[in-house]
Amino acid sequence: MATERNSVELVDDDAVRSFARAAVLAALMGAAAVVGSIPIPLSPVPISLGVLVVYLMGLYLGPYWGTVSIGLYLTAGAIGIPVFANGTAGIGVLIGETGGYLWAYPLAVILIGLAVHGTDDLADPADTSTPVIAAVLLAALIVIYGLGTAWLGYVLELGAIEALQLAVVPFVPGDLLKIVAAIAIVKAGRIDPT
Amino acid sequence: MLTYEPDETLAHRLDPRSKLAVQIGFAATALAHPTPRALLVLSAVTVVVLAAARVSLRRTVIAYRYALVVLAIAPVLAGVTIGSPWFDRADALTSGLASYRVLLILLVSAAYVRSTPVRDSRAAIQRTIPGKPGQLLGIGIALVFRFLPVLQGDLRTIREAMAARLGTERGTIDRISTVGMLGLTRAFDRADRLSLALRARCFAWNPTLPPLAFSRLDYPVLAFALCLALSAFY
Repeated sequence: MATERNSVELVDDDAVRSFARAAVLAALMGAAAVVGSIPIPLSPVPISLGVLVVYLMGLYLGPYWGTVSIGLYLTAGAIGIPVFANGTAGIGVLIGETGGYLWAYPLAVILIGLAVHGTDDLADPADTSTPVIAAVLLAALIVIYGLGTAWLGYVLELGAIEALQLAVVPFVPGDLLKIVAAIAIVKAGRIDPT
Repeated sequence: MLTYEPDETLAHRLDPRSKLAVQIGFAATALAHPTPRALLVLSAVTVVVLAAARVSLRRTVIAYRYALVVLAIAPVLAGVTIGSPWFDRADALTSGLASYRVLLILLVSAAYVRSTPVRDSRAAIQRTIPGKPGQLLGIGIALVFRFLPVLQGDLRTIREAMAARLGTERGTIDRISTVGMLGLTRAFDRADRLSLALRARCFAWNPTLPPLAFSRLDYPVLAFALCLALSAFY
């Protein structure tokens, strides 16, 4: 058997810390897909906390490590770790009818991360004004809905209205509540992103 | 739940890279050909793939039940029209065939999930994606796998603690933000302890990987994957 004789190349301390947070948040996203759902009044669809974790990745990890985190989540699901909605896994889910949402998550995280942190070091999202955060999260939600619906319509051969009825309308109330909850978490200022 | 199960099947003996290639080839050709004849052939391929990995159809269908509900509703939604003729059968059929190909793609990926341990997938990723991105992805996946049950436990504890304190009587936003905040706080605490532990153990960019090699069995499977992928263009 061949032996590797390269010298050990240690990872920087800052990178280890951010990487650990990215990996654990990816796992939190997977945990939320199974455990997190909360019933809401007047809606048949319970709230899953998955999208809330997408917001938090953008808000607390920033554009770079946030993307790493969501990338880990998607790859983990693709290779068979049960992290997708209701504990499913496999490449089939990434290509199947809800794949558009999953592919939109990295774009949403980058959007939120860039708007809140810019391209430099991490800032405290509590310093960003509430209307800005609300607008950014809403824009991210629109990106997720847009890609999700477009892919669902394409893969199931549905018209735009039909796809919206199936993929957006039942989830709007819950997703708006999650934006309010994400703002509440940020404004409470109890979590240190740096 | 759909997950890896140790077994001695043909699919278990294959290299993860050839199995990944088959899935991608299959999905490409299924997306390109939503016709009855192509779907019949692809159904036969699916049956072979499921048998090769000894996948239980019943358990797989149960695992994907929520996705299947959407797949079942889609043709109905596509067929229903407001006003005469009330139900457009051609539209419903087109959407029904499209839904069916998604079902086949899901089933084929279930065969990969059942027959491939996370460790093998990780090695495949690290060998396919060169340099630091591959390392990061590989180690990250191992950590996600390790922390998933831990964080599920954390979330469950938070929910139970809230329920014990009548937290279930509170407003929805209050409940979501409490679970989110506590979940994130715990996750970050764990991450910070993890990073300390990683540094203490000389976390490096170049650790040693498990060996991975194509066997004679893999070459026909790879050729098959290539045929599937190319068939998307015809």
